[in-house]
Amino acid sequence: MTATDGGRDLVRCVEVARTYGRGAAAVVAIHAMSCVVPPAARVAVTGPSGSGKSTLLHLLAGLDRPSAGTIEWPGLGGDPVDRPGTVGFVFQGPSLLPPLDVSENVELPLLLAGFAASEARERSSQALAMVDAVELAGRLPEELSGGQAQRVAVARVLACRPRLILADEPTGQLDAGHRDQVVRALIESAAHLGASLVVATHDVAVANQLSTQWQMRDGRLTCAEEPARVPHQAFYPVSDPGESC
Amino acid sequence: MLTLTWIRGLTGMRAGRLAGATVGIAIAVALLAALGSFLGSSRATMTTRSVQQVAVDWQVEVQPGTPAASVMRAVNADPRVSRAMPVGYATTTGLQATAGGTTLTTGAGKVLGLPASYATTFPGEIRFLTGSRDGVLLAQQTAANLHAAPGDRISLGRAGLPPVTVRVDGIVDLPQADSLFQTVGAPVGAQPTAPPDNVVLMPQDRWHQVFDPVAKARPDQVRAQVHARTRHNLPPDPAAAYAVVTGAAHNLEARLAGGGLVGDNLAATLDSARQDASYAQLLFLFLGVPGAVLAGLLTGIVTASGADRRRAEQALLRARGANSSQLLRLAVAEAVLVGVVGSAAGLGIAALVGRLAFGSAAFGSTAGASTVWAAVSVAIGLLVAIATVAWPARRDLRASTVMAARQPVALRRRPRWMRYGLDIWLLVAFGLAFWATSSNGYQLVLAPEGVPTISVSYWAFAAPALLWAGAGLLAWRLVDLLLREGRPVLSVALRPLAGPLSGTVAATMSRQRRLLARTVVLVMLAVAFAASTATFDATFRQQAEVDAQLTNGADVTVTAPPTATTSPARASTLAAIPGVAKVGALQHRYAYIGPDLQDLYGIDPHTLGRQVRLQDAYFAGGTAKDLLGRLARQPDAILVSAETVHDYQLHPGDLIRLRLVEARTHRQLVVPFHYVGVVKEFPTAPKDSFFVTNASYVARRTGNPVVGEFLLTTDGTPPTTVAQRVRSTLGPNAQVSDIQTTRAVVGSSLTAVDLSGLTKVELSFAIVLAASATGLLLLLGFAERRRTFALLRAIGARPNQLAALVRSEVSLVAVLGAVLGAAAGWGLAAVLVAELAGVFDPPPDSLAVPWRYLAVVAFIGLICTIAAGVRAVSTARRPALEVLRDL
Amino acid sequence: MTAGTTLEARELYRFYRAGDEETHALRGTSVAVDAGEVVVVTGPSGAGKSTLLACLGGLDEPDAGTVFLNGVRLSHRPEQERAAARARGIGVLFQSGNLLPHLTVTGNVQLVQRLVRGGARQRPADVLHAVGLETRGHARPGELSGGESARAGLAVALANGPRVILADEPTGELDATTEAGVLELLRAEADRGCAIVIASHSPAVAAAGDRVIRLELGRIVGEARP
Repeated sequence: MTATDGGRDLVRCVEVARTYGRGAAAVVAIHAMSCVVPPAARVAVTGPSGSGKSTLLHLLAGLDRPSAGTIEWPGLGGDPVDRPGTVGFVFQGPSLLPPLDVSENVELPLLLAGFAASEARERSSQALAMVDAVELAGRLPEELSGGQAQRVAVARVLACRPRLILADEPTGQLDAGHRDQVVRALIESAAHLGASLVVATHDVAVANQLSTQWQMRDGRLTCAEEPARVPHQAFYPVSDPGESC
Repeated sequence: MLTLTWIRGLTGMRAGRLAGATVGIAIAVALLAALGSFLGSSRATMTTRSVQQVAVDWQVEVQPGTPAASVMRAVNADPRVSRAMPVGYATTTGLQATAGGTTLTTGAGKVLGLPASYATTFPGEIRFLTGSRDGVLLAQQTAANLHAAPGDRISLGRAGLPPVTVRVDGIVDLPQADSLFQTVGAPVGAQPTAPPDNVVLMPQDRWHQVFDPVAKARPDQVRAQVHARTRHNLPPDPAAAYAVVTGAAHNLEARLAGGGLVGDNLAATLDSARQDASYAQLLFLFLGVPGAVLAGLLTGIVTASGADRRRAEQALLRARGANSSQLLRLAVAEAVLVGVVGSAAGLGIAALVGRLAFGSAAFGSTAGASTVWAAVSVAIGLLVAIATVAWPARRDLRASTVMAARQPVALRRRPRWMRYGLDIWLLVAFGLAFWATSSNGYQLVLAPEGVPTISVSYWAFAAPALLWAGAGLLAWRLVDLLLREGRPVLSVALRPLAGPLSGTVAATMSRQRRLLARTVVLVMLAVAFAASTATFDATFRQQAEVDAQLTNGADVTVTAPPTATTSPARASTLAAIPGVAKVGALQHRYAYIGPDLQDLYGIDPHTLGRQVRLQDAYFAGGTAKDLLGRLARQPDAILVSAETVHDYQLHPGDLIRLRLVEARTHRQLVVPFHYVGVVKEFPTAPKDSFFVTNASYVARRTGNPVVGEFLLTTDGTPPTTVAQRVRSTLGPNAQVSDIQTTRAVVGSSLTAVDLSGLTKVELSFAIVLAASATGLLLLLGFAERRRTFALLRAIGARPNQLAALVRSEVSLVAVLGAVLGAAAGWGLAAVLVAELAGVFDPPPDSLAVPWRYLAVVAFIGLICTIAAGVRAVSTARRPALEVLRDL
Repeated sequence: MTAGTTLEARELYRFYRAGDEETHALRGTSVAVDAGEVVVVTGPSGAGKSTLLACLGGLDEPDAGTVFLNGVRLSHRPEQERAAARARGIGVLFQSGNLLPHLTVTGNVQLVQRLVRGGARQRPADVLHAVGLETRGHARPGELSGGESARAGLAVALANGPRVILADEPTGELDATTEAGVLELLRAEADRGCAIVIASHSPAVAAAGDRVIRLELGRIVGEARP
């Protein structure tokens, strides 16, 4: 798998920190941390709840701003907030818009990105086919099971053909069968699109399916491990993560 | 303890939502209590105002065989009586005057013997026009009939005795002749239809000289009365005052033991005032209740927005073993908290409003009434709180298991009322009720004279209430239909606002139509409330103006003294006075039709319409323009009152022969006219029968162009100022009246219900309601969709795209709410005016629309709408992190 | 029924109707739980785990079959009586939403204790101490971390000293460390004599049970003792 865009990194975080609240009540979600998401990466972010996984993903997606440090998206050409469709985000809970049916939900980000309605419709059906959810097209979110809804959420991300897919506990509320379906859909789609994939999870079974593991604890990256069985995958934290795992 | 823990938590963490519900209840309570103060204050002034108009409170007629002095003593001994005087009534067989060699004779008349200080003791009974204030005084019409002026001699015919000649010292007007010459003790129907045409007032000793011999020979020709003035320390409510006065009069009659009967003018006046009080009460019901209901509905919606949260909490507590009485206790505690705080705030606001608008902080005319009003308002506030907070909780408790209670309420089915067509049924019922209550002969308020009870037909309330509810539900159905079936149309219509997203926006709206329909209907009801109240009020004021106009004739009216000969050329003198824009001249004569003497007004039909505001309602069988046109086409055409048409069986085109006085000879002259139409009211004309005809024809036939009245329209200068200038130009003899003074005096029936306070209150509440309906509901709607906005932002929606979404929804709500509200408001106002026709005199030609006020309402509504939209967009600009973390 | 059996379900059936479709959540499921025993119910989503727990706790009524609590029938009785039984003897723990958001942690515990009139009860502080939240009593649920929320939920479930604890996916959103902490607390309650039923699809939870029942399509398809 070769990197596109001349192999430019998708995200670079340098000494990024995020603090909520002020003064004595301030809670530090992420301490100064640096990391890089290279092209075609497959990263699992693991760690106990409250360790800062979600905050990291929000920062990577540009949904949240760091309190200190800098984030750059060289491989995306700029802040993803200004470039809708370059980053796709899969949430843990139900994230489909309740008043729209499945195909409308999948089309929505495309329409927001300025695609014509006809093209949006075509891409949407392709994306639904990719996650094996074509027969769900006319249903409303409330008529879907948890696993089906999560697959549609993945399809919604795929339809935009993002360069970077971020998934925050995408299988947290699913049983094993549905979990594997969703993870497979994520990995296959990322491969299909040549996109990088970052999944935050506490499920070892999920994390093991990805080539790179970032472990977090108390807002710090404690260990980065690259499984030996995928030797060509690049991972290099910019700063030394400190203690080894 | 359980409740305390619960409430402490609620006030700590749910303060915002509690405050929302509290505000809604405060508005409802404040509106009701403020209306209470309106009612109290208007009733309080009603007694005072109506009592002021009565010249002689009691006329006690001495019965034959009873010495007048003993009746006088008894009346004086009455604790209510402050001043009493004996008055003699005698019948004269006829009056005669000789002028310029011609002898004029009249029919029978009345001669009153008055004590010296009568006019000062009973001001308002006698108005001095010309000549001396003492001695023998002639009533205005009698002087006209006899062509007598101060200094002339007239002879009084006496039954069975030779006539007596007296010298006329002055001319007077008797404004309250009806009550002065009433048949005391006779029932309403047996009262004379008109006061005597010929009246002479004499000093008492002179009267005794002339009529004591008559009393001996013909006792039926002479009567004695005692006129009394009572202490006016009456209850402020006219109904109560009526009861007090009637009781006191009966008490006096009982003590007189048949020696005297009381003609109770005070009670008669209070009788009509209490009818007005009932109207005031109805006005309150018709105009105020919809506002209070609307505030209740708003509270309900604010509360309902927390219903899912409440249901989840309830299910959790049930899972932990809470039983239904414990859960109900918690819900009721929350309702009572909201209700009590809201009611207290509402009463506070009402007291403030009362102080500002009515100058009184009390909610009723008495301490008792205040307490009742406050209690009723608070009770309703608590009821609203219970209904909106505790009732849904009770409904959820009916679920037989916790799992069933946790199920979301099924929203997919159409509401039951829609399936059964309740809206249509309500509108059909409205049609029937309206037909029944607006048809002829229906009386909204029935206050039989002399009977202390009033029957008010509250059924009339049914029609507007049914229309209100039916229109609201129908609007809901229509909005629902538009959003369900009209998605393609909506998608096209929203394109300018939402661009390429219009299809998505239309789909979203379609699936959220329940929320949207609810918001639109409430905005509509708020707009309808404002529009109908304002329109009704404007129409009411317009008619009050018309009433005053009718009584006074014009902005300023100049009446020539009865003996003066005013040439029509005087008009140019008047037109030259600064501030006078237009001058219209009215010939005022008296004409006999058969044995009846009626007023006759000669006009110039070509110009009068331009000089004086004439309402279509003045005439029957055509517009003002039509009937003036008929006069203009035919010189001997005449307009006749409906009563005369009926009495003389007239048909259009019939010849009428009237007897008018010829100028040169002062003889009665027969003048032929042709009946062409019916006139009901005319400026300066009396309420009963009169004629309107061409002035030029009358002048030609009688050889007399003399004008009786000039009607002046001002150029915007206050009429009182113009009247002052006219007085100084014409000298003290001219009688000048202006509309402002008249309006204050007329305040009898219609304007007694002083609407200005009510109006201020209603209109400000309408604005508050419209503002909260639009702003609050939209904000709540957006708050409920915070998650949706965060999601949209997270999947790449730019702020301007979110703004387009918000803009589309806000525009839909504003446009539909305004259009439907305006339609419903107009309909409601029309129904209210038709139902309350009794308060209008004359009935209005058309509704008056207060554009300025409506523009203010629209502007404030728009501001709130935009503010809600802007707030929604600004909060959605950054996805709420706490929402994102939940995703 | 053995002498130590606290909770027993016999031949439970439960159907749901949604539109035209009829779902059979339970098809003749029987289970007995002894005092001091931890039973874990596993199975794919939609297997009927939550429905079984709801029926066991009297939160739902089976269409057929009977539930006994301490040998007394719990099912097919008026909701008021089931509520009373829950208040005194059953603690329920959900995956999330165990706390009333407008009350503090202590307030939540207190409120549940006040649902029961009289009777000896632990001080709220002691209840919180038992789950290791003694310092967080004044916090609002929104201010708690995931692990703290789970423990606070457990504290509320334990507030009235129940003899039965029913936990539906109590660790679904927790990482392994926090999950272990919660399981430890549940085990401590079992040792106190509580009968505990946990529905979960987490292998770690299954490993911590005395008995694991596997449910598929509303039927018990396997039972194991790890």
